[in-house]
Amino acid sequence: MKRTFLGYPRSNGTVGVRNHVAVISVMDNCNPVTRAICQAVDMTLPVTTLFVRGQYGHDLEVAFNTLAGMGRNPNIAAVLLVGLEEQTTEEVARRIRPAGKPVEAINLQPHGTINAVAEGTRRALKLALGASRARREPCPVSSLLVGVECGGSDTTSGLTCNPTIGAMADRLVEDGGSVIISETSEFLGAEHLFAARAKDEAVGKAFVEAVVRLEREAVSRGMDIRGTNPTQDNIRGGLTTIEEKALGAMAKAGTSPLRGVLAYGEAPAGKGLHFMDAPAPAVENLTAMAAAGCQLIFFGTGVGNPIGNMVAPTVKVCGNVNTLLTMADNIDFDASEILEKSAKVGAVGDRLYDFAVEVASGTRTTSELLDIRETAISRFAPTI
Amino acid sequence: MEEPGFIVHHKGDSLGVVVVEDVKAGQKLKGWIMDTNETIELTAASDIPLGHKVALSALKKGDTVLKYGNDVGRAVEDIGVGGYVHFHNIKSKRW
Repeated sequence: MKRTFLGYPRSNGTVGVRNHVAVISVMDNCNPVTRAICQAVDMTLPVTTLFVRGQYGHDLEVAFNTLAGMGRNPNIAAVLLVGLEEQTTEEVARRIRPAGKPVEAINLQPHGTINAVAEGTRRALKLALGASRARREPCPVSSLLVGVECGGSDTTSGLTCNPTIGAMADRLVEDGGSVIISETSEFLGAEHLFAARAKDEAVGKAFVEAVVRLEREAVSRGMDIRGTNPTQDNIRGGLTTIEEKALGAMAKAGTSPLRGVLAYGEAPAGKGLHFMDAPAPAVENLTAMAAAGCQLIFFGTGVGNPIGNMVAPTVKVCGNVNTLLTMADNIDFDASEILEKSAKVGAVGDRLYDFAVEVASGTRTTSELLDIRETAISRFAPTI
Repeated sequence: MEEPGFIVHHKGDSLGVVVVEDVKAGQKLKGWIMDTNETIELTAASDIPLGHKVALSALKKGDTVLKYGNDVGRAVEDIGVGGYVHFHNIKSKRW
């Protein structure tokens, strides 16, 4: 029998693991209104952003697409956009409408803050009342798209949490689901090994080009990325070379073939494992995954990194016994039995897959309950 | 099996990861090779922090260092069996 979870089926065939009304800032000057509306209305999620005003070209396109991608995410039942003026707000709205969910907008001009908060609160209330009529139903796990991430890595990451996430990713892909691994810089030193798993030459080439482009750009800007990767906390945790870090990081993608290469925030067209070319720092990387439509993210950590995504619940997986004690309030899944009790990675991965189904069905994560969530869209050019 | 003092990802790796606290020079350690489920023993030649690496065989300056069965860099000085292996004595071959 096909494995199922309890999700929210959407009109466009996707399935949410949560059922929120996203209140999305179109640009940074709208954030205070977004936050005020979300404080007033239950079921809302504030998706705030910095910049957008003064961005142009490709950089602005990425910003619009990423904001809209979070609005299109299946975890979002309806969207309220908070903008400054109609034209820019419409740029985001028109990118969300094809998802077939209610999209409303309020603009600060010419109403002013108090009126915008009042009107926005009224509309958010209406959207939340509508969204609350949705009920969870059994849905196939093949409708899940999960992101795999790591941050605050140490030597336990490559031995415990990352391979455990990889084993879970393999199970999900076997069951017809999809996985996105990203963090381009993390592949430096091991890109040839990952490219060998590509379904065809074109995909392998696109992947290697992304890694080489990043390295070339770093060098052309006169940067020495040896100082940033591994990071100082990685080195304190026992990591040595970028190759060692890359092999440990890659473990969270499991062993299935690489089906496609995605741009920042781009949704995969097919099923299976995909690579997304995006900067590695957690907040901007998780933002790109949520924009691509990931309903869940699995985040391996060694020395501990608390952050989660606003739209996609983020499951923290850790196999370091010290971190499990000192940062217990930031960890959702304990993988320490691999080092402590010589447990098999595959068995712990099975347990994580069970937990994934549970979280997809409504079990909350620590970063949701403590609201340790942030949004940041990567920047690719200066503002003018 | 008795709880290991260090773990080896792949048989043939140059390194093991210390998984107990405060390993001191001269301390005898048992190691678990994860992929073959074998046990090995060695004596630490230096103090090694939790999560850091111990050399399983003698490495000469310039030798390739293996972890996960793959090339993860080269030794930049001679490292004896049981020696502390970290970013001071192994470097990426990439740059």
